[in-house]
Amino acid sequence: MKKDRHQKPTRSTRTRLIIMFLTLTVCMFGLVLRLGWLQVIRGEEFQQMARRQQTSDITITPSRGTIYDRNGKELVLSASTNAVYASPGEIINKKETANRLANLLEIDEGELLDRFNNETARVITLKRWVDRSIGKEIEKIGFRGIWITDDHKRHYPYGNFASYILGHTNADNDGVAGIELRYDKHLSGIPGRWIKTVDRDGRQLSSSMEVYHPSEEGLGIVLTIDEVIQHITEKALGSAMEIHNPKRAMAVVMNVKTGEILAMAAKPDYDPNNPREPWSEEEEETLSSMTSEEQLDYWYSMWRNPLINDTYEPGSTFKAITAAAALEEGAASLDSEYYSDGYINVGGPPIRSWRYYDPFGHQTFSEAYRNSDNPVYVEMLQALGGEAFYEYIEGFGFFDLTGIDLPGETGSIIPSLDQVQPKGPEVFTRDLATMSFGQSFNTTPLQILTAYAAAVNDGILMEPQIVKELLDTEGNIVEEVKPRKVRQVISAKTSEIIRQISEEAMRLGNSQAYVPGYGVGGKTGTAQKLIDGHYPAGVVIGSFVGAAPMDDPEIAVITIVDEPRGGTLYGNTTAAPIAGEIFAETFRYLGIEPSYTEDEMDKIEEEEGIEVPNILNKTLKEAKALLSDSELDYLVVNEIFVEDESLVIESRPAPGEKVEKNSTINIHIERREQDEELLMPNLEGMSVQEVKRILNAMGLQLKVQGEGRAVNQDVLPGTAVVKETVILVEFR
Amino acid sequence: MIKKNATDLTIVFAVASLVAIGIIMVFSASYTYSLVQYNDGLHYLKRMAMWTVLGSIGMFMASKIKYIVWKRWSKFILIVSIVALLLLFTPLGITVKGATRWLGAGPIRVMPSEIAKLAIIIFLAASIENKGKGIKKFFTGILPYMVLGGIFFYLINKQPDFSTAVVVVAIMVTMIFIGGMKVSHFIFLAGSVTAGMVFMLYQLVFVAERANYRTDRLMTFIDPWAYAQGDGYQIIQSLYALGAGGILGKGLGKSVQKHLYLPEPQNDFIFSVIGEELGFVGGLVVMLLFMLLIWKGVKIAMNAPDLFSSLVATGIVAMISVQVIINIAVTTSSMPVTGMPLPFISYGGSSLLIFMAAMGILINISKYCDFTKGGAK
Repeated sequence: MKKDRHQKPTRSTRTRLIIMFLTLTVCMFGLVLRLGWLQVIRGEEFQQMARRQQTSDITITPSRGTIYDRNGKELVLSASTNAVYASPGEIINKKETANRLANLLEIDEGELLDRFNNETARVITLKRWVDRSIGKEIEKIGFRGIWITDDHKRHYPYGNFASYILGHTNADNDGVAGIELRYDKHLSGIPGRWIKTVDRDGRQLSSSMEVYHPSEEGLGIVLTIDEVIQHITEKALGSAMEIHNPKRAMAVVMNVKTGEILAMAAKPDYDPNNPREPWSEEEEETLSSMTSEEQLDYWYSMWRNPLINDTYEPGSTFKAITAAAALEEGAASLDSEYYSDGYINVGGPPIRSWRYYDPFGHQTFSEAYRNSDNPVYVEMLQALGGEAFYEYIEGFGFFDLTGIDLPGETGSIIPSLDQVQPKGPEVFTRDLATMSFGQSFNTTPLQILTAYAAAVNDGILMEPQIVKELLDTEGNIVEEVKPRKVRQVISAKTSEIIRQISEEAMRLGNSQAYVPGYGVGGKTGTAQKLIDGHYPAGVVIGSFVGAAPMDDPEIAVITIVDEPRGGTLYGNTTAAPIAGEIFAETFRYLGIEPSYTEDEMDKIEEEEGIEVPNILNKTLKEAKALLSDSELDYLVVNEIFVEDESLVIESRPAPGEKVEKNSTINIHIERREQDEELLMPNLEGMSVQEVKRILNAMGLQLKVQGEGRAVNQDVLPGTAVVKETVILVEFR
Repeated sequence: MIKKNATDLTIVFAVASLVAIGIIMVFSASYTYSLVQYNDGLHYLKRMAMWTVLGSIGMFMASKIKYIVWKRWSKFILIVSIVALLLLFTPLGITVKGATRWLGAGPIRVMPSEIAKLAIIIFLAASIENKGKGIKKFFTGILPYMVLGGIFFYLINKQPDFSTAVVVVAIMVTMIFIGGMKVSHFIFLAGSVTAGMVFMLYQLVFVAERANYRTDRLMTFIDPWAYAQGDGYQIIQSLYALGAGGILGKGLGKSVQKHLYLPEPQNDFIFSVIGEELGFVGGLVVMLLFMLLIWKGVKIAMNAPDLFSSLVATGIVAMISVQVIINIAVTTSSMPVTGMPLPFISYGGSSLLIFMAAMGILINISKYCDFTKGGAK
C-alpha cells in the first residue's frame, strides 16, 4: 500500500503532462504571434493613433499686422482675445460643464452639450474671440477638458472710417477687401504651432517631446492716408449726403507731386467690424428674404470701392484733358477765341450747350473753360483730330489701370478710335464729338483724378500710391514704396495754362470749391447717366476735380455726387462744395498759410473775422466751452480716444488769429502715455522666488499655484502683456 | 536513500528575472498614477520592495521545507484557507473599489483567495494521491472535488473576484486530469464547467442589473473601437501602448500610455507598459521566462518522486500559466476584459508572496526528482 502511494508518476500521467505542456505552448505561441501582429505589423498604425491621443496640437494664430496712417496712427489693430477649445472625451461632467460654460460663452447650453456628445474630433473649437476676462474666468474654474489659447481679433477702432481703403477680414482672419485683402500675405504673418505630449487629463508630460514654433507676427502697413484728411473728407461727404440725398457721394484726395492718396472715401460705407450689416433697415428686410447667393452678391457690392472698382461717365471734368491735348498739339492756345451759338451740328441731333437758351457768344479759351461750353469743346476736338485726341487719352493713362495698390481695380470702357470714327478721320462723328466733354465713355474716378493731377503737375503722370511702408514688429522699415512717375504727358508750359484757366474758372466763377487764399483751381461736371441705353432727365452725376494751390499744386481732389436728389443737380452745386470744404480744412490742418489776393484781403477786412480764443494748456473740456462760445467748431487731430481732462497743446489756427464763423479749429491734445508692451518670459523650471523677482521687475503681478518649480504659466512665453496683469503660474 | 539534487538555479534565475522586471516596471508604470493617487510617486515601489523581501524569504524557506510536510498539513491548510475566505464576510474584510478581497490589520493585508490557490493545490495533490485508482470513479472520485470546487468558486466569486475563481477551477480541473481521471469524466467535467460558465454569462447578460453594460464588455475585444467611449477604452489604450512600443520599445520609463491613459498600469495592464517601453522584444523575453518556468515545472512534475509532488508541481504550473495566458490575452485584446494580474510582475503583495512560495516548493520537489533518462518504470 505504502509503496503504491509513493510511486513515481505513471506513463499515463506523463503523457497527460506532455499534453498539458503542448496545450500551454500552443497558447503561448498564439499569444506571441498576436503580440507580434499588434506590435510589429500594426504597430505604426496604433502608434499614430496613440500620438493623436497623446499630443495636443494647438495652432497659435499670429497677431495680424497693424495698419497705420502716414503719421503712425493705428487704423486697424489686432485685439488680444482668447479662443476656447474643448476635448469632449476628457470632460467629466458634460452636463454641468455645458451649463456653466453656456453663461460664460453666451452659447446655448443644449448646443454645447450636443457638441460634447456628438463631435468625434479630439479638440473642438467652442468659441473664438472671447474676451480675455472671460477666458481668465474659465481658466480659474479649471474645467477638465476645456482649454484656453491666445487669439487675435481684428479691431477697427474708428468703425466705418476709411472702410473702403482698409477693407475687412473674415472669421478666419483672412482679408476680404481693401488693404486687408491686397496685403493679406504680409499682414497675416505665419501661424505658430504648439505640440506637446499630455496625459489623459491634458497635463503636459514633463519628460516628453515638445515642439513650440512661435507664431510670426504679420508686418505692419503704413498707408499714405492721413487720418485727419480722411476725417475731413468723410465729414464733408457725410454732410453732402444729408443735403443732396444722393445714391452715393465719394471723394479722393491725392498728393499732386507724389501720387500718394491722402484720403479716399465713399458714402454710404460699411463697418469693417461688422461687415455684413446692410446699409439701412429696409435693406435688412430685403436681405433676409434673399437666397444666400443673392446675399453674397449684395455684400460684395456693398464692399466694392466705387472709386476704383466702378466706372462712370466723367462729363465736363474731362474738358481739362481735352483742353490740355488741344493746347499741347497747338490746336488751341490761351489766345484762341470762340463764338458759340448755344449748339453745334455734327450730324444727328445738335449738341447743345448747357446754356443753349442764352448762348455764351464770344468767349476766350479761358472763358470757354469756365463756362464749360460744350460746342466750343467739340470745335476744339475737330481742330485737334480724333487720332491726336486718342493719343492723349492714352497718354493720360486712361487705357491702363492706375496701378493703385488696392484689390480689383477696374479699367475704363472707351470705344476704340475705329468705333467712333468708322469712316476714317475725314468724317467727324457725333460719338467722337461727345467725348470732348466726357460723355460716351466710362472711367474710374481715380483715373480722372490722376489724369487731372498730371495735367496740373507740369504734365507728369504719377502712379497713385496708397501704401507707404511695410514695417516689421520692431517698427523697422522692411519695404518702402517710392513714388513712381509714369510718364510726362504734356509740357510744363501747357500744364501752367491748365492751372491758370482752372484757377480762373473757380475764382471768377465764384465756385464753392474755391477757398480764398489757397488758389483752388479745377473743373466741375454734370454728366447724364446712361441707364438702359438712354439718358433719363434729371438722373446725373455731379462731379468736381481740382487742385490747389494753383501756383504750385500740393493736393488734388475729386468729389462725386451720384444721383443727387436734393433739388440741385449740377457739379458746381453738389460736388464742388464738398471739395471746397476739403481744401479749406486740409490746408488749415497742414498749416499752409493762405496767400490772399488783394481783392480777397479787402473782402476779409470787411467781414471782420472771429478771433481764436486762447485754449492752449486748457483742458479739452474748457477748450470746448471756449470755442463754442466763439461759435467755432473743433477737431482733435492727434488722438483717437479723447478724454475731457487732456490738455490742449497746439491749436491751428493759433489763438489770436482771425477765422470765419463756424470754422473748425484743429486741436492737438497731450498724448496719453502708451501702455508699454512687455513680452512674457518663459518661467518654466524657475522657483517661486525667481519668478516673483522677474515678474516684479516687469511690473507684473504673480499668482502662485502649488509649489516647487514652475511648470505652467497662463500667458504663453513671447506673448505681449500689459503692466499689472496677473500671471498665474503653476508650480509642481 | 535517494541522493538530493542541488537547488534548481534555472528556476531561481527565471523567478529573479521576472521579479526584477516586475519591480522596475511597477515603478515605471505606477509613478504618475501613484503621484496623482497618493501624492507619492514611490508609493507602489516601496510596497513592492517590501513584498519582494517577504517573498524571497518565503521562497527560501519553502525550498528548505521538505515537500512531504505540506502533505501532512494539507487538510489543515484547506480548512484555514476556507476560514480565511469566510472571514471576508465579517468586518475583518477590507473593501476596496467595491470588492472585498483583503483581510487585514494595519498595513499588512492578505488576499485569502491567493492563499486558497496554493491551499487547493496542496490539498488536491494529497487527496488524489490518497485515492489512488479511486480517481477513476465518478461519484466517489470526482464528484467531491466538483463540490469542493463549487464552494471555492462561490466564495471567491462572491467577493467578487471572478478571475481568481476561474483560476482556482482551472487549476483543479488540470490537476484532476493529470491525476488520472477517466477521459470520459474529463469531458463531462470540462463540459459542466463550460455549462456553468455559460449559465454565469447568461446571468450576467440577461439577469444582472446592468445587462447592457455586461454585453458590451463581452464583445468589446472583437472591435474595441465600437465601444471606444465605454469598455473598449481600456483595450484601445492597451493596443496603443503595444503599438507605440513597436519592436524595440520606446525605452525604459518612456511610456506615455502609463500617464493615466491605461487603467491601473502597474497591475492588470503592466504587460502593455512593458510592450510600450521594451517593445515586442521585451514582451517576448517575459513570455520566454514564463515558458522556461512552465517547462521546468512540467519536467519536475514528470520526474517527481511521487504522485503528490507531481500533482503539486502540476498545480503550480497551471496556476502560473493560466494567469499569464489570461493576462496577456486580455492586454492583446484576444479575449474579453477581465482583471488578472501577471504573476511576479504585476503589483500585488499576497500574489507575489504566494507565487514565490510556490516556486520554493517547486524547487524543493526538484531536489527529489530523478532526472535520469527513463526515470519512469
